[in-house]
Amino acid sequence: MTATPLVEARDLVAGYVPGVDILRGCTLELHDGEIVGVIGPNGAGKSTLIKAMFGLLAARSGTVHFRGEDITFSTPHRLVAKGIGYVPQVANVFPTLTVNENLEMGTYLRPREFRKRVEAVDALFPRIGERRKQRAGSLSGGERQMLAMARALMMDPQVLFLDEPSAGLSPVFQDQVFDRVREINAGGVAIVMVEQNARRCLEIADRGYVLDQGRNAHTGGGRDLLHDPKVIELYLGTLAQAD
Amino acid sequence: MQQSRLGSVLILLAVALLWPTVGSAVGGDEPETPTTTTGAAGVQAYEGTLTEAGEPVEGVTIRVETLEGEEVGAVESGADGRWNVPITVPGRYRVTIDTDTLPDGVDLTDADATTFETDVFPGRPTVVLFALGEAVGTGGPNDLERLAQSTTNGLKFGLIIAMAAIGLSLIFATTGLINFAHGELVTLGAVIAWFLNARGPRWPLVIAGLLSVAICGLFGGVLERTVWRPLRARQVGLFQLFVITIGLSLIIRHVLLIWFGGQRRGYLDYRIQTQWELGPVSITPRDLAIMALSALILVGVATILQRTRMGKATRAVADNVDLSEASGIDVQRVILVVWIAGAALAAIGGIFLGAIESVDWQMGTRLLLLMFAAVILGGLGTAYGAMVGGIIVGLVTEISTIWAPSALKLVFALGAMVLALLVRPQGILGRAERIG
Repeated sequence: MTATPLVEARDLVAGYVPGVDILRGCTLELHDGEIVGVIGPNGAGKSTLIKAMFGLLAARSGTVHFRGEDITFSTPHRLVAKGIGYVPQVANVFPTLTVNENLEMGTYLRPREFRKRVEAVDALFPRIGERRKQRAGSLSGGERQMLAMARALMMDPQVLFLDEPSAGLSPVFQDQVFDRVREINAGGVAIVMVEQNARRCLEIADRGYVLDQGRNAHTGGGRDLLHDPKVIELYLGTLAQAD
Repeated sequence: MQQSRLGSVLILLAVALLWPTVGSAVGGDEPETPTTTTGAAGVQAYEGTLTEAGEPVEGVTIRVETLEGEEVGAVESGADGRWNVPITVPGRYRVTIDTDTLPDGVDLTDADATTFETDVFPGRPTVVLFALGEAVGTGGPNDLERLAQSTTNGLKFGLIIAMAAIGLSLIFATTGLINFAHGELVTLGAVIAWFLNARGPRWPLVIAGLLSVAICGLFGGVLERTVWRPLRARQVGLFQLFVITIGLSLIIRHVLLIWFGGQRRGYLDYRIQTQWELGPVSITPRDLAIMALSALILVGVATILQRTRMGKATRAVADNVDLSEASGIDVQRVILVVWIAGAALAAIGGIFLGAIESVDWQMGTRLLLLMFAAVILGGLGTAYGAMVGGIIVGLVTEISTIWAPSALKLVFALGAMVLALLVRPQGILGRAERIG
């Protein structure tokens, strides 16, 4: 672990409706080369945390730093230029644009790099490469998730924020998503992944954060959390114990 | 105090009760043909005024007969074009204009409309209108020729609607705003061009027009920066924003009314032109040039949207604002460009419309409903939808005038919209999205 984290969110407070805070002081660190999993029950503020870190939601207090630089109030498109990518949970492709145009939007800030990057991304997601001329709105949910990740990778980011990448996908596609996340990480991209599927997430995560009601409830290594009796009881369910 | 008020109320009441009598007495004093003041039997009569192009037509015989063909009265129109045939027994009669007595060069606009059967009621006159003017009935074009002409007119009108509606659609797509003031951008374009061409510096229309388009584009950009962006940043709801656009529309329209006045005016250039006869269609070189330019501009806009980086980014923002931000697109900048381009396109539409018809302070407002119909018909939020929808709306409105009164034009445009939505709820080019 390096001294300054790659991304550091400290005591973030944020919400959608005035006067109602969803995040009530969350802290998260991401170091180079890590996969960090964020889990917790519904409404814990997992997606809100990622949106606030990415500037899609204005923080009411707290700070976000990227390589030591304060990015709390940066707009998302500036963060993309700095090397942060984000894949939303829903509405994660441009439906009326073709697959190719979706990828082009991925390199909107550096159009010259499109050719080079699209080869790298095609290698990772061959299925997307076959459908380049098709409208993204006609893809299946799993294909869309792949395209969404491919688009975010077009800028060759250092950090990727993934919001529930496996949500709503069939088990086969879920496996593929987690495999790809691992591959992307192996390529040197640090990842923050919010997941409903807590066990699968913690299995591949270096470290995990358990959120509850907008606050950090537990923090630890991915495997450690997976076997922590308290976490099992509260968030993973009894099935986990049987493993 | 109390009494005087009661008094005035009583006077008013009396006036109200006596009104019909007062009215008829005044009517009797009006300069009419002398035969009318028969008095005793009551004042019921058939009457009317014969005019052609605003000038009274004198000496035309009007006959009234019973339905059995028994003549009740005949009269010639006076020097002021008025005629009046008093009737003793109220009922239904046949009123005929004697076309042989029409002066040379004056015809009925509808050659068959020489006779009307109408009722006359006790105590009041029934007005019968004989429309004089250029004959359109006989010797006119047949249905096919009229169809060809209407199609051309519709295409001309539709191309303009399409151009003006692109901004409306893209502004909605990128910001969710329903811009009720979009019609005023059309008017503004026409009025500024008129000022530069016919009033102020008297520049040629081409230069005045280009300058007007630039000014309107700038105006759109300023509106976005000073009104819409700050309001969006404060997260004002879309309905509130919609109401603000209504207010803005009223403000701009009435400022234009004060500055420009309520009358219709024309540009100095391209005013009088000889029609070219192209097969069954006659069209002025001006209108043909406007159609060509409009088509060229639409193709240009489509190419920009399809091929350029900014065009693709615009479509991306129209699809999904947050994802665009997450892709590195400066969404606010794209919206600014959309406002500038949308306002400029509306202004071009206004200038073209002003050249074809005339410039007035409400021209854009009248176009607004058609633009909305075009945008919804074509598919809300897509520029191509606005284009296709605009052309369809233009065609439907003009072609409907072959068979239906032109006052019903709008009804047909909206009818086409409803019909299209019943078949394709997302609009013609709107895309139903696959779910899952």
